[in-house]
Amino acid sequence: MTLSLHSNFSAPDRVVVQVGGRLDAMTFGELDEAMLVLLPRLDVGGTVVIDLAGLEYVSSAGLRSFAKIRKSMRARGGHTLLLNPQPQVRKVFDIVKAVPVNEVFTSTQELDAYLDRMQRQITEGDSDA
Amino acid sequence: MVLRSIASRMALWVLAGSTLVLAAIGVLLLSLTRAQILQHTHREAAALAASAGSEIQARIDRVAISAQMLATIIATRQDSAEPLLRDTLQANHDIDGLAAVFRPSSSPVDAPPYSPFVNRVDNGALASRDLSSDARPYWNSNWFLGGLSCSAGCWQRPFLSLSRQRQLINYSVAINREGRPVGIINADVTLDWLHQILGHLDKPEGAYAFVLDSDGDYLAHDNPALVGKRGAPALLEVLASDQAESVRLPVAQNAQVHGAVWVYSAPIEGTRWRLGLVVPEAQIYAGVRRIFLWSLLLGMLALLGVALIILLTIRRTMAPLGMLADRAEHVARGELDFELPSTSRHDEVGRLTQSFDQMRHELALHLQDLARVAREKQRLASELEIAHQIQIGLLPSEHYLDAVCAYFELHAALRPARAVGGDLYSYFMLDPEHFFVMVGDVSDKGIPAALFMAQTITLAKALAPRAQTPRNLLQLLNLELCRGNDSCMFVTLLCGLLDTKSGNLVLASAGHEPPILCGHGAPQLLDFTTGAVLGLYEDSDYPEHHQRLRQGETLLMYTDGITEASDHHQQMYGIERTLGSLAQVPPAAPTAGYIERLLGDVDRFVADAAQADDITLLALTWHGAAQVDVEVCVASQLADVFAGLDRCEHLLQEADVISSLRSDVRLVLEELLVNTVEYGYPDGRSGQIRVVLHPGPETVTVELIDDGIAFDPLQSACPNLPGDLADREQIGGLGIHLARTVTSAMRYTRNAHSNHLLLRFIYPNQDGSSS
Repeated sequence: MTLSLHSNFSAPDRVVVQVGGRLDAMTFGELDEAMLVLLPRLDVGGTVVIDLAGLEYVSSAGLRSFAKIRKSMRARGGHTLLLNPQPQVRKVFDIVKAVPVNEVFTSTQELDAYLDRMQRQITEGDSDA
Repeated sequence: MVLRSIASRMALWVLAGSTLVLAAIGVLLLSLTRAQILQHTHREAAALAASAGSEIQARIDRVAISAQMLATIIATRQDSAEPLLRDTLQANHDIDGLAAVFRPSSSPVDAPPYSPFVNRVDNGALASRDLSSDARPYWNSNWFLGGLSCSAGCWQRPFLSLSRQRQLINYSVAINREGRPVGIINADVTLDWLHQILGHLDKPEGAYAFVLDSDGDYLAHDNPALVGKRGAPALLEVLASDQAESVRLPVAQNAQVHGAVWVYSAPIEGTRWRLGLVVPEAQIYAGVRRIFLWSLLLGMLALLGVALIILLTIRRTMAPLGMLADRAEHVARGELDFELPSTSRHDEVGRLTQSFDQMRHELALHLQDLARVAREKQRLASELEIAHQIQIGLLPSEHYLDAVCAYFELHAALRPARAVGGDLYSYFMLDPEHFFVMVGDVSDKGIPAALFMAQTITLAKALAPRAQTPRNLLQLLNLELCRGNDSCMFVTLLCGLLDTKSGNLVLASAGHEPPILCGHGAPQLLDFTTGAVLGLYEDSDYPEHHQRLRQGETLLMYTDGITEASDHHQQMYGIERTLGSLAQVPPAAPTAGYIERLLGDVDRFVADAAQADDITLLALTWHGAAQVDVEVCVASQLADVFAGLDRCEHLLQEADVISSLRSDVRLVLEELLVNTVEYGYPDGRSGQIRVVLHPGPETVTVELIDDGIAFDPLQSACPNLPGDLADREQIGGLGIHLARTVTSAMRYTRNAHSNHLLLRFIYPNQDGSSS
């Protein structure tokens, strides 16, 4: 099983990338290439949501890809959020402590609530400014 | 109970002994005294009899003389016969009557001559009558005719005078005139005086006297009933001689006397009478017997007294002995704490008491010593038992079956000659593919050997992972054992490494007995070159011998306890018998069959001779490859790696390995393989990577063998994990970390040209992920 990718811009500052299949040393290049195209299209300070519901397997190569995404998003003042990691993926994440816990969400509702909260903070921050 | 004491027994024996001696002496004395008394009595009685005889004789002589004088006188004065008779009668009271009778004249016409007879009447007056006027003429009577022939006088037979109612006896003497008897003087003598004389004799008490006449009739007797009776024949026979006699008659004639009697007799001169004095024998000895009885009684009383004194004295003397006997019973019961009688005396009892006291103390000390020695012995035995347990604990189980794929089976037996021994065997899996096995024999026996054996077996196990090959192991072991081996102990060791996949066996020996290969054809001795024994020479080398085990073959390793087992005749079992015994085992026999067969044969050979040396046997049977391992070969290309990973996953899926474990295996393999492909061949050459999968029911074992540069993933540093990978400058080392964390166990070895990584995954793997 190979890697499958779907991206969907729900807003100019938010893109949801659905990653499926297997992310390993063989396939991580596909994700890296796709993100190289996607990320510049996102507004500065935007949010990438990586939906891992379909990802069965990840290896250290995949982890490095995720790290790269988060690094470039951070450089653009944006956020990277991970959604629905499956057991194997979660296990690998746990072992290497790949991402802060508060950036991983187990359901869409949880994610939406988080995004709303973040939106409010930004709005309030703007008004404060 | 009383007789149990020495005192009473001794008193009794003294009493009995003394009584015996006393009785013997008494009897001797009695017999001597009896003889003397008898002699004395003889003399006395003989004298008495003689004097009585004399007295009687004197009286008789008077009668006889009177009669003879009368005869002489009357011969010439026939006419005055009567007055003469009267005078004589008056003078001699012993004479009861006197008669002077004359022979009538030859012419019948002449009147018979006056023949007066004077006698005493009852009132003492004298009466006289003429006998010639009696109706019966006297001249024809016997007494007259007999008297005529007695010119010297003779005593007639006694007779009972009917007229006077008395026992009388006649003394007749012839009256001679002119040489011819013309008549006779006849004196009637009463026998009363005779009785009086006998009665007045000073006889001993119980004795009686008698007078026998010439015919053997009793003239007089103290028992009047016997007067006139005839004397007993035995008596008469003895009295036939004229001498004074003493004779013993068993039975007295006198009914008044019982028992034996002594008869003393004396002849009475002038007559043919005999006087007899009869003394009962009992009477003779009565006095001495009484004295003897009294003496005996007094003697017995004295002895009783002596016995009593002995009893008391011995009792008193032996009293401490009794107490000692009592204390000795205490000693027998093991009670040594008691009072002893005071030992102020210096005799044997005192010394005995002192010795007893000393013995008691010595015994107490000895018992303490004994108890201490026994405790010591018990402690040693218990320590030895513990040592035995520990030594047994050092040995692995006697049966080992390759649990993964049952390719090989091992049976071992170790039988120490003593509680602990110097033989050893050991085996262990060096890695999933390699099985180490060894059999050894320490020089010497007992505890030193056991310690050396423990050292050897422990060192061997510790050094094996480093050594990897039998040759290396023996070298390393030798160096370790040489160190500080001042006692110059050594061990022979046969060491084998079995490749559990192929049955390839590498053997190396340090001076040990060659192993035997059984199973196909005759048992074969694998006699390869061995190195020196371990522990003596540091620079020893141990050549390896390679042997491929075929299916069903059994390798038998043993110690010299088998070949040098000796029977009663000091004959050794030897290698020939060993091979012969093993040849008896059927080819398809179980592994244990070889051990049982050989041990049984050795036991039969040795019979009941003592086991001299430890015996160890180890049989290793190769059952052959029953199933080919799942092996995936990967070229050193990334694409190949993933194709291989897919194949592996597929194989694991076929082996029903659960998916979570499958993805764990895949993750680890990917990380390691990618790592190897990327870094293992820096020189650009193409490599070969082998992945061998052993899916088991509880574990999945994976071997990773590559011919790249040496790399031990276990040695790589743990990456810094701050909690966010995006924070890290260098994103490296994650893969190895993942692989190490997810694998349950990982072992790395580097062979000559290849890295060998052994991975083990254990169900369930959920716990492993967090560690």
